[in-house]
Amino acid sequence: MNTQSYVNQLMSGIATWSRINSPWAIHFNSGSCNGCDIEILATLTPRYDIERFGIKLRGSPRHADVLICTGPVTRQARERLLRIYEQMPEPKFVVAVGSCGISGGVFQGCYNIVGHIDEVLPVHAYIPGCPPRPEAIIDGIVKLLTHLKNGSRPQPLKLSHQEIA
Amino acid sequence: MTTETLLQRATELLAPFSKGNTTPETNRLDVQIDANDLPAATSALISNSWGYLSAITPMDLGAEANKLEAIYHFCEGAAVTSLRIQLPREDRPRIPSISNLIPVASFFERELGEMLGVDVVGTPDSSRLFLPDDWPDGVYPLREEFSIEQATPVEPHETLPEFGRTGNKFTVPIGPQHPALKEPGHFEFSVDGEVITGARMRLGYVHRGMEKATQERNWIQNLYLLERVCGICSHTHTSAYAYGVEKLAQVEVPLRALAIREIIAGLERVHSHLLWLGVAAHEAGFDTLFMYSWRDRETVMDLLEELTGNRVNYSITVLGGVKHDITAENSHSIHTALDYLEERIRHYLNIVTTDTTFLQRTRGIGTMNLDEAKHFGALGPTARASGLVRDVRIDSPYGAYHHFPVSIVTDERGDLEARFVVRMKELLVTCFTIRTIVDNMPAGELTTRFPRKIPAGETISRVEAPRGEAFYFIKSGGGENPVRVKIRTPSLCNWTSVLNKAVGHQLADVPMLIAGMDPCFSCNDRMITVRRKDDSQTLSWSQMREYGIKKYAAMREMK
Repeated sequence: MNTQSYVNQLMSGIATWSRINSPWAIHFNSGSCNGCDIEILATLTPRYDIERFGIKLRGSPRHADVLICTGPVTRQARERLLRIYEQMPEPKFVVAVGSCGISGGVFQGCYNIVGHIDEVLPVHAYIPGCPPRPEAIIDGIVKLLTHLKNGSRPQPLKLSHQEIA
Repeated sequence: MTTETLLQRATELLAPFSKGNTTPETNRLDVQIDANDLPAATSALISNSWGYLSAITPMDLGAEANKLEAIYHFCEGAAVTSLRIQLPREDRPRIPSISNLIPVASFFERELGEMLGVDVVGTPDSSRLFLPDDWPDGVYPLREEFSIEQATPVEPHETLPEFGRTGNKFTVPIGPQHPALKEPGHFEFSVDGEVITGARMRLGYVHRGMEKATQERNWIQNLYLLERVCGICSHTHTSAYAYGVEKLAQVEVPLRALAIREIIAGLERVHSHLLWLGVAAHEAGFDTLFMYSWRDRETVMDLLEELTGNRVNYSITVLGGVKHDITAENSHSIHTALDYLEERIRHYLNIVTTDTTFLQRTRGIGTMNLDEAKHFGALGPTARASGLVRDVRIDSPYGAYHHFPVSIVTDERGDLEARFVVRMKELLVTCFTIRTIVDNMPAGELTTRFPRKIPAGETISRVEAPRGEAFYFIKSGGGENPVRVKIRTPSLCNWTSVLNKAVGHQLADVPMLIAGMDPCFSCNDRMITVRRKDDSQTLSWSQMREYGIKKYAAMREMK
């Protein structure tokens, strides 16, 4: 093994290690009822304290590794959701929280709904529930991290947005 | 004044304009008027201090009647006067604006214009409030013939610049994605230096079209749909809907069930106000208080979970009663939890009135006096902090509030500090009421038989949500589905006061004025300048997007 490839390997090891130990997240509500959003916020607070996994909620997509989406995607929010996703640096992961984000939930068939999140973005982890409990949200994110730790990158289950592909 | 004298007075005031009066319910007066008489009729009510504009219901009366209807609901105490205006169905009928008399009407008029296709003549802002930018012109979701196929996306109109500069004035866009906004909304503040000179709002990022969706679901399904209007006050919406439908069906709900609903409503208020305290403290940079209040909020979340099985969408209300009983064991845990919460709330009340740094952000900021609160149509704690005695639980008691009344908390000062104080004191009152109900639980059944079809009729249901009055107008055609459900949530009314009061303040006060909203300048620019070493280049949003996609594609290939 030459020095160059050794250094590359080392650097990528360090990058993975730091990514797993401090994944920064950004949260976007694209049409949710707020139920999931307050549960996401609750995970930050002392009872659940998601920061013990190094997870921090950031305000800017430029700082974030994980996009936490809630709610079905409304027509007005769709473009913003894409914009936020595109502004995030690679590698990036999307977590869909809540029933509406996964299937449209109770809002299926409403006129202002584009669909669920994986019709717009590639989703890496789904957290079901209406809303999911904070424990479930933590579990979902930790499962995503475990994947990264094992060296595998979870593949999005569905990729329907042409421009991103 | 009693409800009868209030309605009598309204009849007299509106007599010159009336084309026919009806009294659908004992506390209501419906007056048919001509569209052209609307400003005069409104002025007759407002100049004689008869009530406030609570909502405007846009309604399509169907192909048979071949009419549209706009209903202007005014509330005073328990009395509701509705001005009903029938409009022709062809093209866009015209109706005069009343925004110059009542500022809050401008939001309702924007909704009337885009949802029902009515031209509101003279409204200050006729741009879209809820519908997306790519919505085609001439398609109105609340018209009967509307189908989703008509709403295929079109190329958006040239919208107003999201930021820009005219002379010394800048327009600062805020949202929809924003560090402190938990829900997306878009605001444009025009600033002169640091001072705000104007504010505009665009909603619709979470507009799902629920009012239309209620017409396609049956009475029971709607209960669960409407629970998801808002995850914070889910119980408010289910109970407002249930009270209305129960009135229409003329079903008497057992008192025990009503008492349980009031307990849950009280606990919801506790969780909502503690949540708000945390978020508002976070906006002021007081994260310690945020963490403490959210830690204590978990106590009430545990309680709600114990009583209903859920933390957020409780689903305890069913049409005609409630699902779960409160046992002796539950009462014990309610008392234990409230002991702890009351102690903590007193502590927070002490903090928000004595902490010097915090007071610098709240005392004397955003002061709204009583007249302004009335003029802007403020509701809930925002209104009560300006000394306006307005609370549906007292003005028009519903459910078990006749048996277990609450006392009202007001403050005269009208600034941000007063709003903190009012909310904290309201929590203490709420805790006291919950204890009273738990100790004097009425005996009886939990539910009663409920018909599947609801007799034809219209009703208005008003419920005090943690943020103010929630207004429901429900119309049944006698079938399994409602013909029309109109929802007006308190925040829509309070925005007017906040946006108007923001003018003249420093931009830095915005996050505190609109608690839960923080100014951010970087995240939503449509144009961005990429600086290189020797030259600079301005890219439009689409070019920027193209650039980003190419760059990431190239990076992926390199791997």
